[in-house]
Amino acid sequence: MEMSNENEPEVDIKASEIEYVSYGFEHHLPLIMNLVDEELSEPYSIFTYRYFVYLWPQLSFMQAFHKGKCIGTVVCKMGEHRGTFRGYIAMLVVLKPYRGKGIATELVTRSIKVMMESGCEEVTLEAEVTNKGALALYGRLGFIRAKRLFRYYLNGVDAFRLKLLFPRAEPQPFHSMAADGDDSHEYNEHTLWRKSPLLPTQHVN
Amino acid sequence: MADVCEGEGERQVPICPSIPSGEQTVWADASSLLHLACNDLRDGELIHGENFNLFAAMSALEIMDPKMDSGMVRTYYSVDEAIEYGAAPVPLSFDKTVDVQGTIDIMDHLLACEATWHKGCSLAQTVFSCLYLLRPDRTSSHALLHSYCRVMRASCNAVVCTVSDTRTNEEEDLFTMTHGLPLKVDGDDKCLTMLHAVEETIARQLRACKAILSKKRVTEDIEPLQNNPDLEEGFCKSLLCRLRFRKHFYHVVTNMKRPQGRGLELAKKHIACCFEELDSMIKSAEFLRSINALGTLEDGMKSETTASGSQPVGFDSTLNSRLSAPTPPRAIETISWKKAAEYFQKLLHELEIICSYNLDPVFEGVLRFVVEFQKFQPELVARAHLQHLLVQDGKLYGRDSVFAVICKASLLPEVAKNHDIQKNETVVQLGQLLITLLRVLCTNISWQRRKLGKILQDWRIIHVQLELAFREEFGDIAATSSNENICMKICRHILIWVEEQTYWIASRFLMLGFELDLYSTGEYCMVYWYIYIILIKLAEKTHMRAMTSNEISKRKGKKKRDLVKDGGKDYQLPPAILFLQCHLYLAEGLTMMLAALRNEKQIYLSTGPFNSEHERFVQHFELLLKACLPDHVSYYSFEETTAHARLSNVSMYNCFKEAQRIAKELRSSFSNDSDKMAELRRIEQVAEHNSVALAEHLRAYYYI
Repeated sequence: MEMSNENEPEVDIKASEIEYVSYGFEHHLPLIMNLVDEELSEPYSIFTYRYFVYLWPQLSFMQAFHKGKCIGTVVCKMGEHRGTFRGYIAMLVVLKPYRGKGIATELVTRSIKVMMESGCEEVTLEAEVTNKGALALYGRLGFIRAKRLFRYYLNGVDAFRLKLLFPRAEPQPFHSMAADGDDSHEYNEHTLWRKSPLLPTQHVN
Repeated sequence: MADVCEGEGERQVPICPSIPSGEQTVWADASSLLHLACNDLRDGELIHGENFNLFAAMSALEIMDPKMDSGMVRTYYSVDEAIEYGAAPVPLSFDKTVDVQGTIDIMDHLLACEATWHKGCSLAQTVFSCLYLLRPDRTSSHALLHSYCRVMRASCNAVVCTVSDTRTNEEEDLFTMTHGLPLKVDGDDKCLTMLHAVEETIARQLRACKAILSKKRVTEDIEPLQNNPDLEEGFCKSLLCRLRFRKHFYHVVTNMKRPQGRGLELAKKHIACCFEELDSMIKSAEFLRSINALGTLEDGMKSETTASGSQPVGFDSTLNSRLSAPTPPRAIETISWKKAAEYFQKLLHELEIICSYNLDPVFEGVLRFVVEFQKFQPELVARAHLQHLLVQDGKLYGRDSVFAVICKASLLPEVAKNHDIQKNETVVQLGQLLITLLRVLCTNISWQRRKLGKILQDWRIIHVQLELAFREEFGDIAATSSNENICMKICRHILIWVEEQTYWIASRFLMLGFELDLYSTGEYCMVYWYIYIILIKLAEKTHMRAMTSNEISKRKGKKKRDLVKDGGKDYQLPPAILFLQCHLYLAEGLTMMLAALRNEKQIYLSTGPFNSEHERFVQHFELLLKACLPDHVSYYSFEETTAHARLSNVSMYNCFKEAQRIAKELRSSFSNDSDKMAELRRIEQVAEHNSVALAEHLRAYYYI
């Protein structure tokens, strides 16, 4: 997926200026949809967003704001999957000029904590194999690359299924992570998109 | 919502439906009901039916959003409308030169479409975006185009059949979706006769034009291909190689379908011809581009789908979008003609490897061949042809019964393969597992690894079931000392082979993780350790199989592990086992080295805020642990082995030295096997580099 574009002007911000907000109401939706539309390759209908937001309001649409501007979002869900209670990170977006400042790590970390506290046994997601930024981010958080999914995305690129297994016993004390890279990945759990016509061109970072 | 429905009732309004009311149906105006329902919902609310799950949410389309609604970019509503508007004229032009030029462009674009299809797009949006292919009768007056369309359809049909029959396409099911497409048209089976006639005519036209050029007397009166004498030779040649390529390619795919590999020799000859014609096609680009005053091949052609660089007439990929997939059809990008030509070169090369295969009756040889073949990263079509050759009618190559293959693999004497034991239900099941394994090995490596992980469990279970079944039928196998009884011999051999095979699958599963880039550097230590323990078992089972067959008495006093590791001292181990030993030493050395680096230098650590290395170990090897491969293995065994690893320890240095030594010795045993020789060279290199690095470190350790 999209990595920081070198031509993009970097925004000079302090960590304290970033405000993390949970989903408020419908008025947040256009902000999130614009973010995702701009940064991720797969098209999502409004139903996909609403599916998440009304079922998991506490998890979905955790957002990062900078001076009133929505600059990043994470969309998640939780549920039973083959006998396991599992968290799922569907989309993660941070606007290009704001990447590399630990915002995505913070968004994901907050979501994972909610999942852990809600009794999830594991967290999964998919990311394009070419999305080095996202893979590094999740690697630092302890995700492993469990599987590779052949031509998973519409653009013909393979995906990795990433998994994070929580310890079975008492949850370990949480260490905060200093991140030095951010990226985006997107939702695609279903075989649905895989069966769609695929673009054979290589997705360029 | 329910309240609203009940409260509203029916109201008769004058409406004029095109479908009249029937006995049990009546038309009613529902607008006020809808209006009320809308008022009932606030902005952003969604009626959430139980069946409206994520799948439904993601299947939903937003009308008029060009990212989702393919109708937005549609030029015509139907094929007939497109034809009516002149999108696919026959002939392409009444100017013969333009007509020939346009026909070549169609041929080229079809080649690009075909390659795009092979690489994972739907047939409907690629090859069948050609309006001429969609209306087979319309081209009948245009012999050249008509014959080309016929052979095109016939070739696609042959390929679809092979892929459907082999079912190699688990995840690539888009490939065989042909619903609603005129793929099988009457007369297409005789496409070669027609193609031959057209080819003959053009060959004569070429001869005639050459004769004129060299001022020779023309023996027969032949109408030229087109009007411009300066371009006649170039056009004739460009067409001939394109027609001949199609002819030979059709021969290749049909011959490769013949049972028991009987058509392979012939297919190989046609592949050679395909290569030649493909070369001529690539060369013809220069001529075709010169007419359009375009640059050379290297300049352009990055995205052009024809050799000439012109846009072809008669294609519309949006027309079939409704047929293309069960999901929202998306715009696709056809790969360039140059890339398509390269794809076909690669495909033909892979098909040539299959055709040159000696149909090895030894199962180990089959496995080796498939694994080597997969290194070329073949696309679906090549893999399907390989599988078609390997598994036909439930037999290896359609020739050797599965039980015979198992007997041979278990090193049993010839007589065993006719034994009645093959009718035993569990033995039959084992045969099915073997066929499944072969199929899985022909799939793309992502899917393959996942399937291999799953079937490991089946192989473990079948071993237990076989043991039970044999005991039920023949009594305690272990109690019978010698091989006087053929039944006992069969049972013992098969059981050992099943175990060996299971460990082979496990090792392939682990190795594929590297090819798929599933391991991060922090996890290498545990991966090499797991490979190491799996290889120990694999070498042990391979050795046992050889020993059982050679009637060498078991050395009961020794531990099994020692049997493999120290075997070389007493008598010469077979090269296959020494080869495994090489890998084994390398894996052991790497494990210990990485563990030492982790322990002493804090590098290659596997850490994270939410879990520990333990969880990552469990996740990576979940399927192996579940199948008890090997027994009693856990994260703690790994921890125990690696916790005290130190760089100063000489044993890992010795591991690399041993791997190097055995690899050198083995060269003479595998001098005829280039793949093995290459692998040995790589092992030697890796071992040498690491032992040098370690030696340097040791020197620094002791002298500074």
